[in-house]
Order: sequence, then C-alpha cells, then structure tokens
Amino acid sequence: MTGLAVDDAAWASAWRSRSPGDKALLSLGLVLCALLLPVWPGSVLVGLTAVALALGPARVPARTFGRAVRLPLAFVAVGALTSVVQLGGGPGWAPDAAQRAGALVGHALAGGAAVLLLATTTPMSDLLPALRRLRVPAAVVEVASVTYRLLFVLLESLHTIREAQTARMGHSTVRRSFRSSGVLAAAVLTRSWDRARRLQDGLAGRGMVDGLRVLPEVLPSSRRFLAATVTGLTAIVVVSLTVGGAAG
Amino acid sequence: MHIAEGFLPPAHAVGWTIAAAPFVVHGARAVATEVRRNPESTLLLGAAGAFTFVLSAIKLPSVTGSSSHPTGTGAGAILFRPPVMALLGTVVLLFQALLLAHGGLTTLGANAFSMAVVGPWVGYGAYRLTRALTGNLLAAVFAGMALADLATYVTTSLQLALAFPDAETGFAGAAVKFLGVFALTQVPLAIGEGLLGVLLFRALISNARPELVRLGVLPAEPDDVLPDTPAPAGTSPAAPSTDDGDGAHR
Repeated sequence: MTGLAVDDAAWASAWRSRSPGDKALLSLGLVLCALLLPVWPGSVLVGLTAVALALGPARVPARTFGRAVRLPLAFVAVGALTSVVQLGGGPGWAPDAAQRAGALVGHALAGGAAVLLLATTTPMSDLLPALRRLRVPAAVVEVASVTYRLLFVLLESLHTIREAQTARMGHSTVRRSFRSSGVLAAAVLTRSWDRARRLQDGLAGRGMVDGLRVLPEVLPSSRRFLAATVTGLTAIVVVSLTVGGAAG
Repeated sequence: MHIAEGFLPPAHAVGWTIAAAPFVVHGARAVATEVRRNPESTLLLGAAGAFTFVLSAIKLPSVTGSSSHPTGTGAGAILFRPPVMALLGTVVLLFQALLLAHGGLTTLGANAFSMAVVGPWVGYGAYRLTRALTGNLLAAVFAGMALADLATYVTTSLQLALAFPDAETGFAGAAVKFLGVFALTQVPLAIGEGLLGVLLFRALISNARPELVRLGVLPAEPDDVLPDTPAPAGTSPAAPSTDDGDGAHR
C-alpha cells in the first residue's frame, strides 16, 4: 500500500498489540547475541529463532520477511569477500578466507533477522514514544514523529510525480532522466514545506502552543512474554557457549 | 549503502557510536533550542527529515546502466546546516534500518558517523569554499553534493578497513581494497548526485526563491521581492522613490 512493506507488516502483525518495550527487549537481546556469541551455533540459533518467531506467532508474511532479509545481502557478500582478499605478494585469498567470510555473513544475517523481528512487528509510531524513556529530548522525538508521518505523503508524491514524468517520456534517456529527477526532488521538497506549513496552520487553529500531544496507546507489558524472552535468550547463550566452547 | 547489522566487530560498533555521539547530541541540542524558540519549526524540521529519507529513494540513472540512490545529506547540509543534519541524518538512518532493513542498529553509530557527520561537514565545507572562491551558487552546490556523497563512502571504506585489516599489509592494504571496491566505484555516482543537486537547486531558485532566502542560501535582494509585493496604496508608480534599490542608484 504505502510502498514500505516492512511498515505494512508491522501494522498487520499479530504482535502489534504487544508492548513495544517487550518486543524491543527480545529483538535487541537477539541482536546482541548475534553480535557477541560465536557464529556457530550462536548466530545460527539467533537467526532461526528470529525467523521462527516472525513467521510463527507474529504472523509476518514470509515474502516480506524474506525480501527484507535479502536486501543487505549484496553489501554483506561484497564486504565479506573484500575483507578476505589478500594483497601482499600478489592478490589471493587469506589463509582462513572461507571461515572468516562465513562468520561475517552469519553474524550479519542473524543480526539482520533479529532487527527485522522488531521492525516487522512494531510500527515506528509505537517505538518513538519509547525513546522518551531513554531520555531523548522531547523536541527530537517530535521531529522524528513528524518525519515518520510525512514520509508516506512524500513517498506517494514521489511515485505519482515519477509516474507522470515517465508517461511523458521524462525518463526515456539518461539526460532527460537526470533533468526529471532534479525537478522531482525539487517538487518533493517544496511539497514537504507546503505540507508542513498547512499542518502548522491547522494545528495553530486548534490551539497548539508547544508540542504535538497525542494520546499514547496503552500496550501493556506481558510477564509471560518477558519470562519467555529471558529464558530463551539465556538458553541461546548457554548452548552457544557450551557447544562453541567444546568445538573451539 | 550502509554497513549492515552485525557486520562490524563489537568493539568497533561501540567505538563509532561514541565517536558519532557528540555530533548527534550537539545536533539534538540545536534542534531543541530551535524548537523552543520557534515551536512551528518542529514541522519544518520533520519535513526536512522526511525529504532526506525520500531523496535517498530517488533512483539516479547511472552511466553503467544500473541505478543508484543519492545519499541526500549534501543537499540537507546546504539547506539546513551540518549540525541539524547530524541529527536528521541519524533519524533517517534509524528509519532506514527499521523500515527498509538498510543499515542496522549496532552499526547505526558507524553509519551516522559517515553519512550524518563526515558527509554533511565535508559537503558543506566544499560548498562554502567553492562559493567563496567562484561566487557561483550552482558550482558550489555541485561540489558540495558530490563531495558529501564521496566523503561518506570514503569514510565507510576506512571504517571497514579499520575493522578488517589485511593479514600482511595491515590497515593500509585493507584501505586500498575497500576504497577500490566501495569508493572508486562511487565516483561516477557522486558526480551524478552533484548533477542532481545542480538541477534541484536550479528548480528551487525558480520555484521556491522565498524559502531559499529564508534559509539563507540566497541573499535577500529587494528587486527579487518587489514584483511579488503589491505597491502600497497611495503611491503612484511614477512617483520618484527614495529607498528603491533598483532605479534610484542608476
């Protein structure tokens, strides 16, 4: 709908009504496990847990999740290969190239899946108020909230204008495409200003003095969810350290 | 292209977060002060953040046939100044990580350092320098946007080289590798972003001149404002005016 499949999934997810704090604890715990534990079996366990939770209880569409996990793959593959190429004495592979590249890809995929578990179950508008509790200034959280809300309007403008330009042969050659892209960027920028000004006028008319106050949706924390999160994360750490320690 | 989640070793992820923090906190202070002084700027700053996000979604045609996305922070630095971009860039990176699976949370610090700190400052410096030397706004925009893009990728390459030094040649060897893969290939795209900037600002000068004047990109010129403002009632256009910037001195 909006062009941001991850955001659509977050609003439709079965975990939408869970407390953002609970989901953040689970997801960030998994992210840290993916980063800090040995890749075998730590990252593998984290990756499998994140995918199983997202596709199972959170009911995120497999297509959306799979596509989003694949996105950073190009960077991960190129980066991992570059890091194991050796230049000294003519180009060649580093001695433990396969192992090191594999570890990098493992950490990155598991970490990416763990972040996506949060991203596909929690809309930004639930996460931003939680930043206030981390002592991020209110003004910054408000600017970020306005950014989130204007994003979709501007993305829609972008697609509409681009479609109109394409229909008028605006992207038929590289030269025209550049010109159209410049005009497109300028149109989106002036529209964003226009939107902001109109929002401001509307809010001022409704008596806005300082700050955009919205009623926070109450999403209560679940003790069972928290207990399961802590148990699961502990299990991943223990298994990784015993199996990884025995292997190494 | 940002460093993906989980790609940097933990110590580097922490180190870059600490390195980027003062700039982002400074930006947050600048934004908070601005909002306290001027509550309606919340919406304009939010619009600027959304524009930066959307700009990075514009596909740029590239010479090699593939397409790439501009980083967008050069334009932001010229329009809204680097301290504000340090914060807006970081917010945009957080959104890209959570909405597009682009970048990551543990690598947010490293990505913020390259895209929200180094890119905008280098771009803004190049913009100011070129503008002071040549006096040409569009040339300055080209330099600013192209170098902001390139500086971002050079920083990313150096960050990767620091994290994964070459077994024999160490950091220098790794820097050559990563710069070759991630920065050299970016040169045509940086030029593309510079061209996009010239076209963007040319369109803005003709369509959004008052906004550019308000942001301080263009000087307030009385003869530019005159055609829009209706003549005050009672003054005949033929009457000789004393404070007219246009005709009185010629």
